[in-house]
Amino acid sequence: MNSEIRLLVPAFVGCALVAEAWSKPDPNHWSFHEVAERSVPDLGEENGIDGFLLQRLKEEGLSFSKRAEPENLLRRIFLDLTGLPPTPDEINSFEKSWKEDTSEAYESAVERLLVSPRYGERWGQHWLDAVRFAETHGFEVNTPRPNAWPYRDYVIRAFNEDLPYDQFVFEQLAGDTVSKDAATGFLVTAAALLQGQVGKDDESIKRARQDELNEIVINTSATFLGLTVHCARCHDHKFDAISQKDYHRMQAIFGGVRYGNRPFRDDSEKREEEIRSLDMRIALVEQRLKKMGVRLPVSPLLNTERFAPISARYLRFTIRKTNGVEPCIDELEVWSSGEKSTNVALASNGVVASSSGDYHDPSKHRLEYINDGKYGNGRSWIASETRGGWVILDFGKPILIDRVTWGRDRKGVYKDRLPIDYVIEVAADKDAWREVAGSKGRLMSLDPSKLEGPQRSAVLDHQSLSEARRRLDGKKMIFGGVFQKPPPMHLLNRGDVTQPKEEVPPGIPEVFGSLEMSSATSDVDRRKGLARWIASPKNPLTARVMVNRVWHLHFGTGLVNTPSDFGGMGGKPSHPGLLDWLAVRFVKDGWSIKNLHRLILSSKAYQQSGRPNSLGMEKDAHNRLLWRFQPRRLEAEAIRDSILQVSGSLDLKMGGPGFSFFKPNTNYVRVYDAKEEFGPLEWRRMIYGHRVRMEQDGVFGAFDRPDAGLICSKRTQSTTPLQSLNLFNSHFVEQQSEIFSKRLVAEAGGKVNGQIVLAFQYCFGRVPTAEEVSKGVDFVNQHGLPQFCRVLFNTNEFLFLP
Amino acid sequence: MIDAYRAALMNRRNFLGRAGSGLSGIALSELLSSQGLLANALIDPLQPNARREPEFDPPAKRVIMVFCSGALSQLETFDYKPELVKRSGQPLPTMAKGFKSFQGENGNLAAPQFEFRPRGDCGKMTSDLLPEIGKLVDEFCFIHSLTSKTNTHGPGENFMSTGFTLDGFPSMGAWATYALGSESENLPGFVALPDPRGVPQSSVNNWGPGFLPAVFQGTPFNMQKQIGNLQSPKGVGKETDEAARQYLKFLNQRHQDQFPGDTELAARIASYELAARMQLSVPEVTDLSKEPASLKKLYGADSRDPVKAGFAKNCMLARKLVEDGVRFVQVFNGAYAMGEGVGNWDGHRALKKQYGIHGAILDQPVAALIRDLKSRGLFDDTLFAFVTEFGRMPTFQKGASGRDHNPDGFTVFLAGAGVKAPMSYGATDEFGHRAVDKVVTMHDFHATLLHLLGLNHENLTFYHNGIERRLTDVHGHVLSDLLI
Repeated sequence: MNSEIRLLVPAFVGCALVAEAWSKPDPNHWSFHEVAERSVPDLGEENGIDGFLLQRLKEEGLSFSKRAEPENLLRRIFLDLTGLPPTPDEINSFEKSWKEDTSEAYESAVERLLVSPRYGERWGQHWLDAVRFAETHGFEVNTPRPNAWPYRDYVIRAFNEDLPYDQFVFEQLAGDTVSKDAATGFLVTAAALLQGQVGKDDESIKRARQDELNEIVINTSATFLGLTVHCARCHDHKFDAISQKDYHRMQAIFGGVRYGNRPFRDDSEKREEEIRSLDMRIALVEQRLKKMGVRLPVSPLLNTERFAPISARYLRFTIRKTNGVEPCIDELEVWSSGEKSTNVALASNGVVASSSGDYHDPSKHRLEYINDGKYGNGRSWIASETRGGWVILDFGKPILIDRVTWGRDRKGVYKDRLPIDYVIEVAADKDAWREVAGSKGRLMSLDPSKLEGPQRSAVLDHQSLSEARRRLDGKKMIFGGVFQKPPPMHLLNRGDVTQPKEEVPPGIPEVFGSLEMSSATSDVDRRKGLARWIASPKNPLTARVMVNRVWHLHFGTGLVNTPSDFGGMGGKPSHPGLLDWLAVRFVKDGWSIKNLHRLILSSKAYQQSGRPNSLGMEKDAHNRLLWRFQPRRLEAEAIRDSILQVSGSLDLKMGGPGFSFFKPNTNYVRVYDAKEEFGPLEWRRMIYGHRVRMEQDGVFGAFDRPDAGLICSKRTQSTTPLQSLNLFNSHFVEQQSEIFSKRLVAEAGGKVNGQIVLAFQYCFGRVPTAEEVSKGVDFVNQHGLPQFCRVLFNTNEFLFLP
Repeated sequence: MIDAYRAALMNRRNFLGRAGSGLSGIALSELLSSQGLLANALIDPLQPNARREPEFDPPAKRVIMVFCSGALSQLETFDYKPELVKRSGQPLPTMAKGFKSFQGENGNLAAPQFEFRPRGDCGKMTSDLLPEIGKLVDEFCFIHSLTSKTNTHGPGENFMSTGFTLDGFPSMGAWATYALGSESENLPGFVALPDPRGVPQSSVNNWGPGFLPAVFQGTPFNMQKQIGNLQSPKGVGKETDEAARQYLKFLNQRHQDQFPGDTELAARIASYELAARMQLSVPEVTDLSKEPASLKKLYGADSRDPVKAGFAKNCMLARKLVEDGVRFVQVFNGAYAMGEGVGNWDGHRALKKQYGIHGAILDQPVAALIRDLKSRGLFDDTLFAFVTEFGRMPTFQKGASGRDHNPDGFTVFLAGAGVKAPMSYGATDEFGHRAVDKVVTMHDFHATLLHLLGLNHENLTFYHNGIERRLTDVHGHVLSDLLI
């Protein structure tokens, strides 16, 4: 049978797996063998990579293409390593040094990029794809996971610092044992049903737990080992030597891991700093608004009334109008002025409250609840009258105060009964009230589309900042799993939770040996044991899988073209010797990913031209043998980031909770409405955008950005009319085109010729041809420079890695 | 005989999977077609939505699926159980007292909240909740014994739309367009029409591409919300737009000259042409002003209730879309965001009241859609499916006047191309709780749907992460009893 199929399959079109797939599971499968030392075919090549590749090319009568033009080469390494194009300055200085010494120029450019923090932001994203990182829980509620982002920052940092890969593996499985809390975010990147979403019946609860554990097994085995162990969940693996028992052994390793938050120990300073900086920026925006004579609308959640420090014994809060029925106030806080500002309104300090009249039903709403220090509707005050009312706080003595904070429901559930017309006054004695704050000047609505100009941009800024701030509320936690004593784990007949069979101790697939664990092994020892086995130089898969991932990302196709499947259904390596040679080097080099980049980028194979030739196309259209560099479309992130960089808008701030692609939403389930307009606070690199499962940014999501549902080791590359509509018509591109055109005028002066030349340098890293200029000048004269910029952002040349 | 044919399909996947990158699989495709294995199954990277032949000659050319989000009760609609009426108020004898389901403890059996009466020539008992749809029972092939494997909405909708309870798998519309392309040159091959009140519970999962190329995803829009970025930026006139396209084409052409034969670059140029056509065709297809007033009235598009009028317009749009060659249209009734049962069929607490509201929105427009399709002759080669994610309990929840989730037996119906009608297939027990006769799995249902489109569910595959994935996982049997 196999020979018959082989007839159908040309040797190197990448379908060799077909013959393999239908043989029986093979414990001697190639990738299960220890990595072997290989000698480089002696073809006089400096770089071992080229030796291996050239040997295969020669067998097919092919050879490498000539070296790529310097401008393409520079653009290639910039986009590949950092996801951003080079600037005209960088191009000019590169071209200068290229004339002196091409190798020197190239190598030093590579070095510069490898130390750039932009590198980790690019390569961190590739890793996050592979583990389907997201900051929401998925499924129908898809509510935010506000403490997930530290894992994203951990990954970026790990790449930037060139954390040895064996250590990177260990920390993601057991970082809690070495004070790397954020690293274990890896274990719980998948979607999970929240408590209320799981049925109350026993079967549903067990099934949801099984699904959770299964996701952890998928992450671990597919990401590090390139194994589809999860295929053996219900039955022995059909194509690999992995039994159902092996699956349950792997699952038992994680028996003590639950999805959830735990206190976060290693990032507190950064977080405090982030909070301070956000608070300051919010205050600045509020000042900006104040100068425009505008205040934000009253918020049911929390309002801050600031005024010049004033001495007061009494404070009166008078409500003249609400958004419906009797007014409610949840906790009226008054803050002392000065450095150690405290809330001086608390009843526990002897402050006495009086009112115009209280709500008839005292079960949830009482006057004494207004300053009891407890939040929520159930501990709030409601006035007796619909038309309004007042509350007076008596501090007992004059106190210097400078701000009042209050809300309708500080827990953010209720939005009715909200005072919208009110005044706050203070007095030394009750006859001489002085107004210090009130609703005057507050906007009625925060809908930015109803505003214009600076007001609108200030409101947009305020929304983004407040959203980032809210995500830092509460205790310092990390969504990195909660660790407990593992319960006994059982084999499940056909994977069915209602049919448990014998107990299974933790372990690894039998074909790889044993970890000497028992059901008594602690959670920590289970994870540490697994991590050590995976991160061992002896593990036949770990190094192979990682070098192949890196290769795949540089060349567009892996030596094994299924980066997360090195099993029987996965592709066979196109160059088995090269794969092993790289894996050996990788381990010997201290598992350094950056050294691996250096090695690959210094090869002829990487530096050759991307132009096709007829011989190569005829013999190897898929380019599995690498007779040319494979040009390909950039990913969503690189396109967005490149546009921002070219226009000069890109904000390079790193880390933290990030920004949102979606309109603010307070519904009890999240509704993700993509923002149509973005401001400077959102002009950060896309990796810092709050990653929502399933839902996509309205412009760039369409560029095959994975939905973070399943693991994605290889993005699809499709071409759709929606992509074209988004790039051609979106407000984002329109706005950036406008900004880019202003930059061109500022930097190139008023001559259209010069503007066009500079625009080409920014966008394509080259000077335009005479025809491109003359047509461009005609176009600009008739339709304006912003339209010209819009066109450049839509070109294939801009969107492709050359 | 796994064979050569199976192997060929796998190769087809290799070709399809890489259709975007370079001159993919040309040698391979030639080889396969010369073997007669893959005569018409190739995806042209320049026109990924071009029409493709099915495996065998199918009765259905296209699908309209009405999806009632929130779990529409089988007991208040089409699954008539006299015993439930008789024993209303008594405990469900097959379960322990106070047995738990999704939300917790259950109370006693509760009679249907709407009267049943015989309808059509066949005399099928259906309820007064959906009287207009009821008048058409002679056209329907009911499946009363469908089962799900989850009692949670998100996973349940995933299961109905993608064949998997987990997030991240391709929707059936995506599978269908991946296999068959579209008959329309100016519209997306797969369109999802969310409810006027918002998106369903598992939102984009219902029409997502999963790991299939993004070009096969459903494009969501409706009469309330247009496709994003469909219109030129404000203030950009037609002439400027056209000039921008021309200059873009010039730059792209020049660039393409350096990469002769690169289909991906060419495909991108072509995609701008389709985008330009869509800028015209989508506003055209969503323009109902030329539809006669009598037809609008038939659909209920003139209703004073804006939700009903909105849903009715979406139903009219569904007909226009299939008329224009769209392969797969999913019409949603019910939205998630408004909360449990308020804007969808999730009747936990006050079922009668809430269903009364939702029934009036659903009934007339859907009935009119079927009548309209029939009168235009479209019903003969359109498969019409009426579905929901799972059913509801025969009991009321403890202390409430509504029913909890029940994945163990619920009703959907098929109509139109290729299915027997009138027909009632399978049955639940005497209380409408569990499917007991001819139990149907979701995979069977999907296999049948694909079969009606001329596709063998075991052959329609796509390699992802170690597995040749199918809509039907590793299960599913075509329900041949339902087929003409």
